[in-house]
Amino acid sequence: MLEEEQVAFFLASRLITRGNKGTLLLTVTIIALVFVNLIFLPSIIAGVVILFNQQTIDYSYGNLVIEPRENELIITKANELQQKINRIPGVVASSPRYFGGSTIVYKGKSASPLIVAIKPSDEVQVLRTHTKIESGDFLSDADRDQIVLGRTLAGREDQKVDRVASLGGAGVGKTVEVTFQNGVTRQYRVKGILYSGTSATDSNAFITRKEYEDIMGTTDAANQILVKTRTTGDEDAMRITLMQYGVQEQVWTWEDKSADFLKSIVGSFDIINFISTIVSLIIAIVIIFIVIFINTVYRRKQIGILQAIGIDRSIIIKSYIFQALFICACGTAAGCVLLLLVLQYLTASPLVFPGGPVAPVLELSLVAEAVASLFVVSLIAGYVPSWLTTREEILSAIRG
Amino acid sequence: MIEGHRLSKIYGRGSVEVRALDGADITIGRGEFVGITGASGSGKSTLLHLLGLLDRPTSGNLLIDGVDVNALSEKERTAFRLNRLGYVFQDYALVPELTAEENIFLPSKVRGMTSKECTRACRDILALVGLKDRVAFLPGEMSGGEQQRVAIARALINNPALLLADEPCANLDTKNSTVILELLKKLNHDLNQTVVMVSHEEWHQRYFDRVVTLQDGKILSDGRPDVEGA
Repeated sequence: MLEEEQVAFFLASRLITRGNKGTLLLTVTIIALVFVNLIFLPSIIAGVVILFNQQTIDYSYGNLVIEPRENELIITKANELQQKINRIPGVVASSPRYFGGSTIVYKGKSASPLIVAIKPSDEVQVLRTHTKIESGDFLSDADRDQIVLGRTLAGREDQKVDRVASLGGAGVGKTVEVTFQNGVTRQYRVKGILYSGTSATDSNAFITRKEYEDIMGTTDAANQILVKTRTTGDEDAMRITLMQYGVQEQVWTWEDKSADFLKSIVGSFDIINFISTIVSLIIAIVIIFIVIFINTVYRRKQIGILQAIGIDRSIIIKSYIFQALFICACGTAAGCVLLLLVLQYLTASPLVFPGGPVAPVLELSLVAEAVASLFVVSLIAGYVPSWLTTREEILSAIRG
Repeated sequence: MIEGHRLSKIYGRGSVEVRALDGADITIGRGEFVGITGASGSGKSTLLHLLGLLDRPTSGNLLIDGVDVNALSEKERTAFRLNRLGYVFQDYALVPELTAEENIFLPSKVRGMTSKECTRACRDILALVGLKDRVAFLPGEMSGGEQQRVAIARALINNPALLLADEPCANLDTKNSTVILELLKKLNHDLNQTVVMVSHEEWHQRYFDRVVTLQDGKILSDGRPDVEGA
C-alpha cells in the first residue's frame, strides 16, 4: 500500500474504532436496510417470473409446441407425428390437442370458452393440470360424456364475485349443455373442476379427444402437439433437433408462445423495480452523505489542524473515503445477513400469488450490482464533503 | 532563518478593511527564542500565522530558511509545514481519537518513516517532554499541561527548523505554564531549536532571548526582554 493511503487508512481506522459507536451502528443499520431494499423487491420479482414461467410450462404449453404447417389449419396424421416425436432423443412425451370454440349453458347461464380435446393418458405425461383438480377427478381416456371445467369458467353461485362471464357455479356432478362449432349440442356431466392458477387454462373446458373427433367427424387430427423435453432451458436446441428429425410442422418454444404476456409482466415489474432501485440509491446517497457531512463538519477544526501540521488534504480526503467505504462494507455485510434471514423466512412461508407460492430468488448478479452501487455511492458521499471541508482556508477551519 | 520584509495582512474589502499587520519587518536568527507580545488585536497571532504558513500576507516578502514561502503552491506549503515547521496551538489541537504516541508519530508517518522508526522516535521525544508513561493515553485522559507537552512533542517529531507556539500556556495554570516554558527553553538551549512564541504574559519574558512587541499591526519594539519588569 502507498504511504499516503497507509496514513489515510490509519487515520480512518482510529476515527472509526475510537469514534462514536452509536452513530456508527445507526449508520451501518441504515445502510443494511437500504441494501435489503435494493435486493428484496427484485428477488421477489425474479421469483414471480420463475413462477409464471413454470406455470406456462406445467399448465399451458409444455416445453415445445408443434403447430400446423404454414397455411394449414390442422395437423393431419397426428398420431403418426406423435410417435415420431416421442422417439426423438431428449423428448419425454407429447400430447396432441384439438380445440375449438363452444357455447356452454348451465341453468340458463352461458359462457363461450375454448373447448380443449385431449387424450388424458398423454396429457398427464406432458402437463401437470391433472394435479390441479380442485374437486372431482381428471378425465380418463374412456370418458365420453364427461367434461372438466376450469374454475374461472365454472364460476361461483354468486356471479358478482366472478371477474369474467361464468356458468355461475357449475359443480362436480352437474350437467352442462355444450354446443360445438359445427352446431352439434350435447350434454356432459362435470367430472372435475380444475384450478391451475393460470387464467388461460382455468377459463377452458376439457373433454376427451375421442369424444371431440366423434362430434366434429374428424380422425387423427390436432391443432397442437405439446412436447415435454427432458430438460428445461434447452428448448431452442430441441427445436432444431425436432426439425433435423424431419418434423416439418411449425415448432415453437414455450417462451415464443408466451412472449407477449411475459414481456408485459416483466416489463411492468422492471419499471417498478427501476423506480424502487433509484429511490433506494438516492436514500443511500443522502444518508451516507449526511453522516459523512456531519462527521466532517464536526471535525472541521480537526481537519484544519491536520492541514496545519502538514497533513496533505488528499490524505484527509482519503481517510474520509475509507471511513465511508468501511461503513458501507459493514452495512452491506449486515444487509446480507438480514437478507438471508428474510429469504429463509420467505422460503419457509412463501408469499402466495394467484399462480401459487412465490419464494424470492436471489441472483448473484443482482447482489453484485447492489454492492457495487452502494460502494460507488459511498465513494461519492465520502469524497464530496471532505473535499469541500479541506478546500476551506486552514484558519477558518481551525476557528470552526 | 526568518526574514520578513514589509509584511502586511489586510482583512475585509473596500472601505471596511482591517490592517491586522501593517508593514512589519522581522528577522529571526537560528537558535533564537523569540517572544512576540502585544495587546489583543495587535497582530501577534497574525504574524505567527504568516510565519507558520497558515495564511498568506496581503503584501510583503517572507523568507524562511532561504525559501520564498509566498511563491510556494498550496501543496508545497503543506510539505514545507510538514518538513520544516512545528506548530503548537493554544488549545493543544490533538486528535482526540489518537493516543499520545499516535498523535505524535502522525506527521512522521506522513513523511514515510516506518512504524518501527516512528515508535522509536516517539518514545524518545515523549521521554524528552517527560511523558514516557503516557504513550497509550488518549488526549481526554491527560491533563491540559500533559496534552500541551504532547502537542510540543508532535511539533518536534520531524526535527523542524522552526518551532512556532501560539500562546501555548493560555489554557494552563502557572505551574503547568512553567513546565511548558522550561521545556521550550530546554529545547532551544539543548537542541539549538529556533522558537517563536506568542504570549501576552509579562512573566514569560524571562524565558525569551528577544521580545518583539506589536501594536496596531506595527512592530513597536524589538530587543532583549525586560527581565527586571517580568
